[in-house]
Parts: sequence; structure tokens; C-alpha cells
Amino acid sequence: MIGSFAMLVVGAAVVFLLLHAIPGDAAIAALGDSASPDAIAAFRAQHHLNDPLAVQFWSWAQAALTGDLGQSISLAGGFSTAALIGGSLPNTLFVGAYALILAIAISLAGGSIAASRHGRIEDVLATSGAIVTISLPDFWLGYVLVLVFSLGFGWFPAYGFTRPGDSLAGAFHSGFLPALAIAVPMAGILSRMLRATLLETFRRAYVVSAHAMGFGRFFIFWHYVLRNALIPYVTAIGLQARYLLGGVVVIERVFGVPGVGSVMVDAAFARDYGVVQGCAVVFLLIVIATNLLVDTICGLLDPRRTA
Amino acid sequence: MTPGRATGGMWYTFRTNRVAQAGGTIIVSTLMAILLVRLLSPYGPNEKDYMSILHMPSLAHPFGTDSFGQDVLTRVVYGAQVSLIISFGGLILGGLVGSVIGMASGFWGGVLDAVTMRFIDLLYSFPTYVLALCLMLLLGYGSRSVSLAIALVYVPNFARLARSMTAATRAENYVTAARLMGQSPTRILLREILPNIAAPLLVQFSAGLGFGIILEAGLSFIGLGVQPPTPSLGVMMADGKDYFQKAPWVLTLTGVSVAWIILGLNLLGDGLRDALDPQLRRRLS
Repeated sequence: MIGSFAMLVVGAAVVFLLLHAIPGDAAIAALGDSASPDAIAAFRAQHHLNDPLAVQFWSWAQAALTGDLGQSISLAGGFSTAALIGGSLPNTLFVGAYALILAIAISLAGGSIAASRHGRIEDVLATSGAIVTISLPDFWLGYVLVLVFSLGFGWFPAYGFTRPGDSLAGAFHSGFLPALAIAVPMAGILSRMLRATLLETFRRAYVVSAHAMGFGRFFIFWHYVLRNALIPYVTAIGLQARYLLGGVVVIERVFGVPGVGSVMVDAAFARDYGVVQGCAVVFLLIVIATNLLVDTICGLLDPRRTA
Repeated sequence: MTPGRATGGMWYTFRTNRVAQAGGTIIVSTLMAILLVRLLSPYGPNEKDYMSILHMPSLAHPFGTDSFGQDVLTRVVYGAQVSLIISFGGLILGGLVGSVIGMASGFWGGVLDAVTMRFIDLLYSFPTYVLALCLMLLLGYGSRSVSLAIALVYVPNFARLARSMTAATRAENYVTAARLMGQSPTRILLREILPNIAAPLLVQFSAGLGFGIILEAGLSFIGLGVQPPTPSLGVMMADGKDYFQKAPWVLTLTGVSVAWIILGLNLLGDGLRDALDPQLRRRLS
């Protein structure tokens, strides 16, 4: 817990230093080349750009702890970064969680079928399907899904996203294709992983002796194999968090999901570093929180670990 | 085991491993296709023909033409070359830096290990595109920055792998023997440990090469990577998405080509892993 918090602080400092090392003047970037020297000086004073870096970071971090991430300098009317992120975060979390659930569902089915029908046609199909899906760029897959399911069958909207706050059913409907585009390559990785672990667990002595005792196949799979195989599987999900959220950033652009990734990319184009920084720290926070959750779940699956 | 024997064994297992062969075939045939198209294609990668804009795939243009009337197949071939070089450069740099950090960390342990690995964990906690995007802002857009972003994303992968392998190898008898013979740590790391941990690093490299291409494509796709008119695969897909309802072949076929190359690299990596880890293969078959 303390380690995770320290990591978040150091991570925020790294992002802060990285973005402040960018050559070029933030004031000129915000006000334009034709800004008068007075306006630039006033802007620098207003945004504390003349203070030493350490002081700037300290005041930024202090404000961040109270939920204040500064103002956007690119959006007219001075939106606060916290409001921008607060408004978009639910959408990102929704699409991310949706993708994760789809990936888990597909990979649990694929991995279990492949392992239990080891060496047969189902295994070959699932294994080759997995390696093909891993090779697909997720954003491209998004467009192919649109081509088939939106423009072809007309089942899902091709663009746009209904906020979960407005209509949960609408969010599940409009979020399906973006979530699926992220989920499919990830499901490939996870189902390969699950297949390998299951095959290894099948050979363990306690499973073999359970067979010898005459228990049914499904009983053994459920009570002896799955729980033990799930620990590496859940750990693998934690390791995939950075790829999953990375995928979300790009997929949000493809489907026009107003999430943190979209905010971040827009801010990057506008050279609005304060917003980029806030988004990066929020993403870091999500991954760290995911890893804490994964550790907790692994502890529940295997009580020896928490000791 | 000497390095020579290790590579000889690798070649033997490659010849007997069907997955690796499939991957190798895809890669070699793709490289040959790239060469053939470069030699035979009557079109240049940036040759615009405004009389044939957005033509469907045909004999004259097997992948069709884009909104400037450029031949998509020719551009895919040049783009694949650009993307492969970018990814390769990034992986070489990320692999070298990550492996050095990981090996040093695993070999010496202690405070050095604790501090650097926390930092590596931190790097690994940034979503891939978030890390890449921050770096692109710092370095400016373009091929070289994309390579560096791929390197930065892959440093933690190599560092973690190299560290765990080195830590496991450190206690082996031949390392102890080398130490007792008075060999320097650098010599031990390079001559004794590296040859024995090189195989998994190589597998990581092969798989990473594929993901590097996806990362390049994704960054260029949102406009923060390679900039037009350089024909990288991501730039072409970004262009194709603008009119993909009218002319879906530009985006679709470029993406299929990307997936094809990555499939080859993944198969090669899988085959290598099975070949290099006979224990794993025996357990799984």
C-alpha cells in the first residue's frame, strides 16, 4: 500500500520533470507567437512558470492531493483539468472494465476448451485462433468490426458512445465494439497462458490421484484444477493492465469515446502539458490500483500468499 | 555450453519445429515479396496519379489505390520496411538497456537491485501509449522518437526477464568456478551468464518486434508518431480511415499486411521458445 503510494508520487514527479523538460515556452504555446511580452509575462506569473521546478512540483502535488490538477490552458473558458478528467474517467473505466470482462470470458472458454481437448481439433482451432488474434492491431480491428457489424449488419453504432450515467443499456450497446476490439488480442494472450497452466496442473500428483479415486472429470476440473490454475492467470491479467489501458487510449479515438485517453491526445495536440500530466497520473493510478486488486485476489485464491 | 553449440542447437531445433518454420516461412516470403515489389512495381511509393483515385483492387493495383491515386501495395511494401526498421531499432535499444539493467541488478543484488527494480516497476505501470505519448511530446514527432518510445516501453520487459534469469544463473557451479578463477564481474556476465540467458531474451525480442510495429502504427495512427509523407504502416492506416466507408480496402489490406508480418514474428518467437525450452515442450506435449 505504502509502496504503491510512493510509486505514484515518484511516477507523478517523473511525468512532471519529463513534460517540463520539453523545449519551448508553454506561455507562447498557449497564447500564440504574436502575444505581447507583457501578456507572456502575466501568463508566466499566473501559472507560476517562473518558480524553480521543485517548487512547481511541490505546489502541483499539494493541490493534486486535494483534487485540484490545475487549469487547462488550451480550452477557452479555463476548464479545470480535474473537471475534464472527472467527466471522462467513468467512460474510460467503463470501456476498460467491459473489455476486461469480455477478455476474461473469451479466454476462460478458449483456454479451458483447448486444454481439456488437448491435441484434438478444438485445441488446434483455439490455439491457432489465439496466435492470430494476438497479431491483430486493436485499433485496426476496431475499424474492421465497424465495417462488419455497424455498416454491414447495422447492429451497433459506428461512432459515438452513450455515457453510462445517461443510459447503462446504451453504454453496453455503444461500448461493445470498442471493448471487443481491445478484448480480442488480450483474450488471445490470456487463453494461451491459461491453456499452458491448465495442462501443467493436469499432471500434478493431486489431480492424478483424484482421477485414481474415481472423481468425475468436471468435479476434478472445478475443485482441483481451476483454482490452482487461476493464480498465474490472474497475475497475467495484472501484467496486461498496461497494454489494456494503452489500447483504450487509441480505441477511444477510433470510436469517439469521450474518455481520459481522448482528453490526453487532444491535450497533446494542443501542447496543454498540464492536462497531459494529469491524465498520465490518472492512468498510472488506475494501473497501480489494478495491481493492488490483483494481489488481493491472488491472496484470496491462495491464503498462503498473504502470510 | 559454448555459444557456438548453443546456436548450433538452435538451428537444429528450428529445423524440427513446425511452428518456428511456419513463422520463418512467413517472414522470409514477406521479405522476398518486399524485394520483388520494389524491383518490379511500376509505381513509386509517393507517386500520385489523380486519374486513378480510390480504385478498387485490380490487376494493375492488387491492393487498390488511395485518395491520391497512389498504389497501396507499393506503399505497404515501403511502409513495412519503415515500420520494421523503427521497431527493430527500438527493440535493439530497449533490449540492450533493459538487459544491462536487469543483468546488473540480478548479479549484484542489494540496494542497487531494490532501487532500480522499483523504477522498472514504475515504468511497467504506465500504459504503453501513455508512456510513448509523453516521450513524443518531449522529443517531437517522427521516426526516431517512435523508436525511442518503443525502446522505453520495452526496457522494463527486458530488465525483468534478464534480472530473474541472471539471479537464477548466479548460483550455478560454472559461475562460482569462474569467480574462484578470479574472473572480473564483467567477464563473468558476458562470457558465462549472457550465453545462458540469451535465448529467452531473443524470444522476447522476436515477440516485441511485432508489438513494436503495433505501437508504431498506433502512435502514427492517432497522428503523434511518424509524420506523412513518410509511408509508415500507421500513417497509411490513418489516411485510410478517413475514407474507409467509401474505400475500405486501403485500411483493411494495410492492416491485414501488418497482422501478417506480426503473425510471422509471433510464430517465430513461439517456435524459438519451444525449441529453446525443451523442458517446457516436454511438459506441454
